[in-house]
Amino acid sequence: MIVTRSWLNEWINLDGISTEDICKTFNSIGLEVDSLKSYNVPKKIVFGRVLECEKHPDADKLSVCKVDIGTSVRQIVCGASNVKEGIDVVVATIGTIMPSGMSIKPVKLRGIESEGMICSSSEIGLEDTGKGIIEVDSSIGQYKLGQEVLTNHIFSDDVIEIELTANRGDCLSIRGVARDLSAAYDRPIKDSITNDKEDKKVGIGRILSVKHDKDLNVNLEYKAVELKALKTPFIVKLRLSQIEESRDTDIESVMLYATHSTGVILRAYKFSKLCHEKDDLKASIELRKDENGYASVVSDEKLSIVGIIQNDISKVDYKDGNVLVEASYIPPEIISKQMQECKIKSGPMYYKTSRGSEPELNKGISYVLDMIEGSSSSSFYGGTMGINNSYSEKIVSASHKEIDEIIGAKIDTQRINKLLKNLGFNTSKSSSNGFVVTVPRFRHDISHKQDIIEEIVRLVGIDNIPSKPFHFIEKNQLQSDYFDYKKKSVYRHKAAQSGFNESIHFVFDEKKKLLKYGFEIISDTQEILNPIVNTLDTLRTTLLTGLLKASSLNMKNGYSSVKLFEIGSVFNADREEFLKMAMLFSGDVTKESLSNLGKPAKIDFAYFIQKLSDVIGAVELKECKTKHLLSHTYQSAYVIQNGEVVGEVFKLHPTVQKDYDLDDTFMCELDFEKLNFSLKKASISSKYQASFRDLSIIMPKSMSYETLKEVIEKNATDELIRFYPVDKYSDETLGEDMSLSIRFVLQSLEKTLEEEDITTAINSILNALKDELGIGLR
Amino acid sequence: MKQWYDAIKEAQSVEKLEEIRISVFGKKGVLAAEFAKMKTAPNEEKSKIAKELNTHKSSLMSEFTARKITLQTLELQNAMKAEMIDVSLFSTTSEAGALHPVMETMDRIVEYFSSMNFAVKTGNMVEDDFHNFEALNLPKYHPARDMQDTFYFKDEMLLRTHTSPVQIRTMLSQKPPIRMIAPGAVFRRDYDLTHTPMFHQIEGLLVDQEGKVSFANLKFILEDFLKYMFGDVEVRFRPSFFPFTEPSAEVDISCVFCKGKGCRVCSKTGWLEVLGCGIVDPNVFEAVKYENVSGYAFGLGVERFAMLIHQIGDLRSLFEGDIKLLEQFR
Repeated sequence: MIVTRSWLNEWINLDGISTEDICKTFNSIGLEVDSLKSYNVPKKIVFGRVLECEKHPDADKLSVCKVDIGTSVRQIVCGASNVKEGIDVVVATIGTIMPSGMSIKPVKLRGIESEGMICSSSEIGLEDTGKGIIEVDSSIGQYKLGQEVLTNHIFSDDVIEIELTANRGDCLSIRGVARDLSAAYDRPIKDSITNDKEDKKVGIGRILSVKHDKDLNVNLEYKAVELKALKTPFIVKLRLSQIEESRDTDIESVMLYATHSTGVILRAYKFSKLCHEKDDLKASIELRKDENGYASVVSDEKLSIVGIIQNDISKVDYKDGNVLVEASYIPPEIISKQMQECKIKSGPMYYKTSRGSEPELNKGISYVLDMIEGSSSSSFYGGTMGINNSYSEKIVSASHKEIDEIIGAKIDTQRINKLLKNLGFNTSKSSSNGFVVTVPRFRHDISHKQDIIEEIVRLVGIDNIPSKPFHFIEKNQLQSDYFDYKKKSVYRHKAAQSGFNESIHFVFDEKKKLLKYGFEIISDTQEILNPIVNTLDTLRTTLLTGLLKASSLNMKNGYSSVKLFEIGSVFNADREEFLKMAMLFSGDVTKESLSNLGKPAKIDFAYFIQKLSDVIGAVELKECKTKHLLSHTYQSAYVIQNGEVVGEVFKLHPTVQKDYDLDDTFMCELDFEKLNFSLKKASISSKYQASFRDLSIIMPKSMSYETLKEVIEKNATDELIRFYPVDKYSDETLGEDMSLSIRFVLQSLEKTLEEEDITTAINSILNALKDELGIGLR
Repeated sequence: MKQWYDAIKEAQSVEKLEEIRISVFGKKGVLAAEFAKMKTAPNEEKSKIAKELNTHKSSLMSEFTARKITLQTLELQNAMKAEMIDVSLFSTTSEAGALHPVMETMDRIVEYFSSMNFAVKTGNMVEDDFHNFEALNLPKYHPARDMQDTFYFKDEMLLRTHTSPVQIRTMLSQKPPIRMIAPGAVFRRDYDLTHTPMFHQIEGLLVDQEGKVSFANLKFILEDFLKYMFGDVEVRFRPSFFPFTEPSAEVDISCVFCKGKGCRVCSKTGWLEVLGCGIVDPNVFEAVKYENVSGYAFGLGVERFAMLIHQIGDLRSLFEGDIKLLEQFR
């Protein structure tokens, strides 16, 4: 909503209040100021009158004018097409420094002397009001020839743009905004209605008949005007450009201006379109529900839909002749509900009507007629016609106690009474215990006591309410969701300490990509209806694609070692949400440095698993084939903790690695819920010395360590507390076999193990390996 | 004797000194030889010679010890000098990973409200119309509910546009009093320089008996919270409108960049909008069938907090896993 200071001043006296103060007040009463623009027309630009105007002898497009600038008459050459004898104009006199920086000097234009410049609005720093020079008229108030234009308040205005919240349709007009200021400053609103204009001495009933359906739920008022020589006043042109609007015809401009000023929705109809026969003197219209249930105005054909749109054929395109002026109101809840249920093409007025336009139609009619009268020699048919839908008043009450409790401070009741009255509320039914308020119809947003309290809070000013701590009964609030949050936090910290950078990606992904790499996708019936871009057209079912994309970006940015992780939600085909944790390690294990002579090792399986284990604790791996196609066929595994599969880990498939332009890359994705978050328990540890034995076992290359492991675990005695591979060797003499060195750690809770005990323990393992797998010592 | 004093003084290494020690104090050393000579000396001179020799012995010994310490120190110094490195070659940066600034900011906010005895509640991202809109006093035809802003699914479900549905679900499953915050990702159909289709919010809710919870209470906690997050800033409340609160306010802090003087970030106003809040609208309580209660609610965007606190310029970079940005936070 754009307002100007001078325009507001038409509705409320703002004398003695600075524009800065007005902006501050707007902010504090909930009308947020978006921007403020002040016009500074340069000095020495004055009002003038074109006394004579002749064609330039040597230039088709130039005119030579004699212009009265108060103190003298000057000859000025002008290039505007609309310059003519008798009009009042704005003249930059000799010595003016224009906003463009140009200074006005006497010049010769095609041999003719010119002393000054007749200006257009943009030349003097105002908004562009259309082609040609400014034609000043009485709409700007009184002025004298020679008077500097900056002394006129229309030319030295402040334009304030306000961001309105969706509930404040009542502030979508200058008058509505002024009403809020009236409550804030306790100054009355200037609200006068002039008497009905009826100089035609013929009543509207003689030339118009109106029929209507029942239950239309709209208010309409019609007034007939015989237009004569209507010309858009300068003030209308200027202010429409200030509110960033424009209309093609004079009557449309005036209507729009009046709507913006009063809040009443106004339209003008071409009279001939309302008559059934060409030479009919009497027009007739019908108001009825159209095929979609919207209230519409119909003659031979549909002319408009109330509150939404007017058909072009019924718009007035002349300055002389009969015109039917319409003011309308439709309750916002009805129009927006209608629009929700049966969407039709919206028009320029829908924004206002759906938020609540002004219901007092005669205010708008009388305003626009005053304007027409002031800028033409039109005449008016007496009386109005229309329909008036009955309205039951809303009454809301709030006790003094309730008001004080919700605000948390005591507010003077007389002050409340005054500000409610200034806002247009009727408080006459109030008692000594509290307020009983009749809500004006334009405040459709008020229906509860808390709405009334909100009005009080915003006009008293939140800054004037003292802060108070809330007193509560102590209660433990650490519940399961908090622990889930905590668990996430713990794992995030562990991952970061282990070198991985935390990343967040959108939970959206590209369906095509998910399909390409063999991931699950959301079932079609549960898919997103209105994705924002093609590359984010579905919900992600994995965290891996996001990490891949990010590592590709980082490699391009020159990072030779990329370590990323994410803990976030993914979805399955049934769109159920799961929390996952994924990690990616790509390229060098560390940065180039003196210690690695500038050649750090590349990430490999062992190193990545070590990192993974640093983050999530001890893991066991079991060969697997992943469902998706990101993994290297021979380097992928289930991650197992406490006997349960918690996720998968793999080397990135060489093809995908190429797709993303990456170096060697390892990734894992884990079910976050399955990761451990219980308190640790210490186990009993032996006081006796541990013994180590390294055994080299000859085994076929094709045999997996897992097979070996299972046999050892099954047959080991209690003394074997740990065993793990430490070396692998193969050469030609071994053929299809290889040698795997395994370290066995033996310890007893009861005693220091004797050589004999160790031999027995080791032998039971070796025997089992021989019996079950046919393998043995080198 | 004098020559031996000089020899000790001039010895250049511990080994050389040891040779001298053997030559002087050894069994076949000079002193032993001198003492041996005593046997042949006249008896009356013996004690004088013995005294003289003993004096030399102890002087030589103390000279020797002093020289040994000097030489040992020198050798240690030389040995260490040989290990000298240019320490400036080893300036380095951390190789630890970094926590994401948005998540870190979220942690700080959660930490504050946890300490104020607010419970943490989370919920699902896919929601239905009732919990995301209807119960929050956003009826079907409300203008604040533009189709353009919401991601819908084909089965009429939607991605939550705020974390408020978590509050509704908590109220439907628990009796008052309630003190909770709901942190999490939310979604709006908006993608440009200053909007991403996903971002994070934390919303808070406090519900207690009717007449107990006031706007003044809301002001107190938010002023305290914003000072905790941003340090010494001014806090301003502006009346505003949200369907689920009434009265409602937007909360500004004095611009953290220009200290309120007016700059590009605060659009020359000196203020930055950081929060929305208000007294819970009676229609919301009606939707969850709470009676005789009062409450306040507030909500904030975590990305905005993170960007202001850490002076991050580009919102979208937060969602790209960009190490250039992230590594600054380790």
